[in-house]
Amino acid sequence: MVVGLILLAIFVLLGFMLIGAYNRLVALRQNVNAAFADIDVQLKQRQDLIPNLVETVKGYASHERGTLDEVTQARAAAASAGGVEARAQAESALTGALGKLMAVAEAYPDLKANQNFMQLQSELADLENKIAAARRYFNNATGEYNASIQRFPAVLIAGAAGFQAREFFDVGADRAALQSAPQVKFS
Amino acid sequence: MQAVGLQTYIWNNNIRSVLLLIGFPFLLLGMVFCLTLGMIWARMLPSGYDYGGPIPYALHLMIAAAPLAIVVALVWFAIAYVFNQAIIDFATGSRPVPRTEEPDAYNLLENLCISRGLKMPTLRVIETEGMNAFASGLHEGRFSVTLTRGLLQNLDRDELEAVLAHELTHIINRDVRTMVVASIFAGVITLFCQIVYRSIVWGGVWGGGGRDRRGNVGLFLIVAMVVGAIGYFLAIVIRMTISRTREYVADAGSVELTHNPDAMISALQKVSGHTHLEAPESMRAMFLEDDDEGIMGLFATHPPVAKRIAALSQYAGGRVNELAVVPPSSPAPAQASTTTQEHGPWGGRKDEPSGPWS
Repeated sequence: MVVGLILLAIFVLLGFMLIGAYNRLVALRQNVNAAFADIDVQLKQRQDLIPNLVETVKGYASHERGTLDEVTQARAAAASAGGVEARAQAESALTGALGKLMAVAEAYPDLKANQNFMQLQSELADLENKIAAARRYFNNATGEYNASIQRFPAVLIAGAAGFQAREFFDVGADRAALQSAPQVKFS
Repeated sequence: MQAVGLQTYIWNNNIRSVLLLIGFPFLLLGMVFCLTLGMIWARMLPSGYDYGGPIPYALHLMIAAAPLAIVVALVWFAIAYVFNQAIIDFATGSRPVPRTEEPDAYNLLENLCISRGLKMPTLRVIETEGMNAFASGLHEGRFSVTLTRGLLQNLDRDELEAVLAHELTHIINRDVRTMVVASIFAGVITLFCQIVYRSIVWGGVWGGGGRDRRGNVGLFLIVAMVVGAIGYFLAIVIRMTISRTREYVADAGSVELTHNPDAMISALQKVSGHTHLEAPESMRAMFLEDDDEGIMGLFATHPPVAKRIAALSQYAGGRVNELAVVPPSSPAPAQASTTTQEHGPWGGRKDEPSGPWS
């Protein structure tokens, strides 16, 4: 009788622990989703900025067609990319292309003095900062979620309840793109 | 559970706060129990043979007194709560700032509120050089976020947003209320200590209807002094520990809202050492930063900035920019006499703004 009660108590306790663990995982996963949605908003804003930017640059530096096309294509690729990893790669390619465009713009004093271009440039810089911050927040949230599904007691239910590890919005690819990015020549 | 990231870190700190709050009633009960025991030992109460010894007897007395104690405590709580509300409302009664005067700060705060579906708190500005900010208000409709002019002048947009998010997190978490509850508890314990002390000093009427007035008052006095001192000390330590825990949560919550740990870190670095601002003690806990450390940080409302930054970089992935630290231009101004450690356990209660009756 007493043993039965103790066993019952243990089971009830374990049940509560698992319910708690499940709810925490749901909250953490939701946090990851919300963080990705936030990156998404910033990336979309950057994509919306690009046609305007390309048009402005075209007006002053129309024969830089190669660089301009590259930006336009990278934008299209980024807009259509699905999944975290593909998205991260497409966006980092876009970042690289934009960097090149900005470097090219350095050679056109008239363009640099253009009011519209200056505003676009500062908006872009602001967005890049926000994207970087949002991406770190996302990676942090993903790391926390990935760590949590491997911890006890959550690990007991994580697999069965469909909690799978998520991909990081990888900075590695970005870093490579940034490092290979434009070299400003003064010759 | 060990924190592995921002969310788990916030959860852990919230659990910690609740446990600390629960600690208050237990502390009070423990003090009553020890005092009763002390009276039995000092032969001011019967030895309690009928109940099987002093300890069960003390327990029995405590339980017998519980209903009355609970009623008294509830009434006290209600009155003290209203009183504290009046203090806070009075202290933040400064002019609210409309959007047209501080468009940047106003819009930042409004955006943060929209992102969480909150009603916009009143934005206020204090015209002073110090760089600080605080949240106040005990219930919906009275919430406000106050910034100093120095803060508005010296922080950039991201840092300002981080500070606003920090204060907004205090509001979301109802930290003002938590700290008022904690200060009422601390006040109850302080008054309790004083009642005991007065009763001893004014001639041994403490025996309960004169059952045995010849008890060893000297022994009881020592017990009461020790219990009172420990209780008083613990009450303040618990209260301040809750305050520091809420600060960590507000820092983390700020990152959660803005997604930018770096801005919170650099804001802390900028304000550190320049935060002087006059305010009642029950509101200091809601400050952005208050560098009044006290003895070994036990009595500080805020953790040291270095620790807060370390937590931000560990759990929120922030990057520390060492160069951003601005050395204090002048020695920190002398703090007002609101520091709790200046008062002994039995004295100085009248200067203590936290007392619910004072």
